Amino acid sequence: MPSRGRLTDAPVASVPAVAEPYVTFSHLRASLRPRAGALEAVAPAPSALTPDRPADPALARPGADATIPDLRHAAIALHDVTKVYPNGKRALIEVDLVVPEGDFIFLVGPSGAGKSTLIKLLIRDELATTGTVLVAGRDLARLRRRHVPHLRREIGIIFQDFKLLPSKTVHENVGFALEVTGTPRREVGPAVERALALVGLSAQAEQRPNQLSGGEQQRTAIARAMVHGPRIIIADEPTGNLDPLISWEIIQLLLRINELGTTVLMATHNAEVVTALRKRVVALEEGRIVRDEVGGYHRQY
Amino acid sequence: MLSFLAFSVRRAAQGFWRNRVMSLAATVTMVLMLVLLSGLVLVLSGLEAGLQFVESKVEVQAFLNDGVAPERVARLQEQVAALPEVATVTHTSKEEALADWRAQQEAQGRPDLTGLTGTNPIPASLNVKLKDPRQYGQVVEILKAPKGVVAEVLETQRVVDALVAITGVLRTVGLGVMLMVALTVLFIVVNTIRMAVMARADEIEIMRLVGASDAFIRWPFVLEGLLVGLLGSLVTLGILAVAAPAISQLGSTVLREIPVGFDQRLGEQLVLLVVGAGALLGGLGATISVRSYLIK
Repeated sequence: MPSRGRLTDAPVASVPAVAEPYVTFSHLRASLRPRAGALEAVAPAPSALTPDRPADPALARPGADATIPDLRHAAIALHDVTKVYPNGKRALIEVDLVVPEGDFIFLVGPSGAGKSTLIKLLIRDELATTGTVLVAGRDLARLRRRHVPHLRREIGIIFQDFKLLPSKTVHENVGFALEVTGTPRREVGPAVERALALVGLSAQAEQRPNQLSGGEQQRTAIARAMVHGPRIIIADEPTGNLDPLISWEIIQLLLRINELGTTVLMATHNAEVVTALRKRVVALEEGRIVRDEVGGYHRQY
Repeated sequence: MLSFLAFSVRRAAQGFWRNRVMSLAATVTMVLMLVLLSGLVLVLSGLEAGLQFVESKVEVQAFLNDGVAPERVARLQEQVAALPEVATVTHTSKEEALADWRAQQEAQGRPDLTGLTGTNPIPASLNVKLKDPRQYGQVVEILKAPKGVVAEVLETQRVVDALVAITGVLRTVGLGVMLMVALTVLFIVVNTIRMAVMARADEIEIMRLVGASDAFIRWPFVLEGLLVGLLGSLVTLGILAVAAPAISQLGSTVLREIPVGFDQRLGEQLVLLVVGAGALLGGLGATISVRSYLIK
């Protein structure tokens, strides 16, 4: 699978273990300004971003714009993003966030703070009301509808409730992600075996989800998220249904995936894990980023 | 592409079978609608054929009184033939008319009752063919002018006009009924496929998240709808094939000697229409059901 090669060949942004603040907002603004200007030159009203607007392929293709190295290497970049739902609820307000390729970040915050909305924006399940969202080098507001599936193949997503299909075996669950994206049949088997080996479930390949423990089910879901060789893993409360010991197993697995070069964004309430790991923590509260620094859960939500 | 086709067909068949009671209900409703559609087409085309047959025949027929002097008849014939709107005028004698009548009765297998009377009850006639079937001009007035010659003028065009009116009403009412039945079928197909979609809601959600394109989400269900439509049209065609001789018989009975029924061309049109309508309704219904599950 070529994307696996890419993970090791691509220049992975070197991530200092401890650096505060991680990416300054001034740095972020400086790096985003040229792109924002370029957007305005094409379309005079960037505040009215709609998916129907024709996309500029040069902007939508990763790495096409050599003048903005910071964002080309960023796995995720949000600039001044506000999301207002049709019912008037403001879920995200003026959010700025840059996640370099190869980073591991925690997204924390109380329920209703905007974590789920942020994740929906990243996978283009929702569109930002204003502002720019770049994921894997793509400007999501300008991404054509038919290119959305390609974006989603660059993102592996993991949920609290695993979302496995009960009638399918572990192998079939993982293979389903390839099957429904038109992968030739002969390539599915080897790719699934690699993904299962990564999460340590090769022996359970023929079992069904109800025969597995919670941790094994979540590892199956991780294997499914990894089978496309994604650039980014988004984990939404992956340990929410698991006991502490199993939670640590899952975290270790995500850390290993991150070490192999995949960017990981993990939304969680698990204060113990967040505090222990000394990774970058982005805290959302009432739709705003209230904190963006390394280490510490700081508040009990 | 091949794996996409295999995937879609397999899932469509699975979906149809898993939800078979509802799928069969949809198919039966589809059959009822298609039979109705075929019936309407058959009746309309029968009437159409009847119209053409009648129109191709004599447009104005004047029945003559018995015992009129042949010269008077000949003069009248000349007068009418001289009119600008008339193409030809032919004279049918009483004997010829009787022979025609007998031949007609025999063709329909009815007993010849004319032999029982000693005299010939069929009148002689003047048959006027018009250049334009709708332009009468003065034909009828001139035919009626000489006293005692013409007993009755049968304006076939009047009959044709009545037939046209009936056909028009039938067409309008029929189309209205068809439209309502088609809508019902559409709703039933939409419902059936929506149940299939809901049974797969988890799968569809996962498909969207892992980056399946809309085609992979949509086509299995559209194929399932097409399956309902095509199965319905096949059953309908079977029913029609079995009923075809009876329909032809009925057609010729109702419309007397007018040659209607299952000819080759009508058959082909009907097959196309039934299959097309079935596939269209099935595919459309499925497309509507699955729409809200696609990428926003």
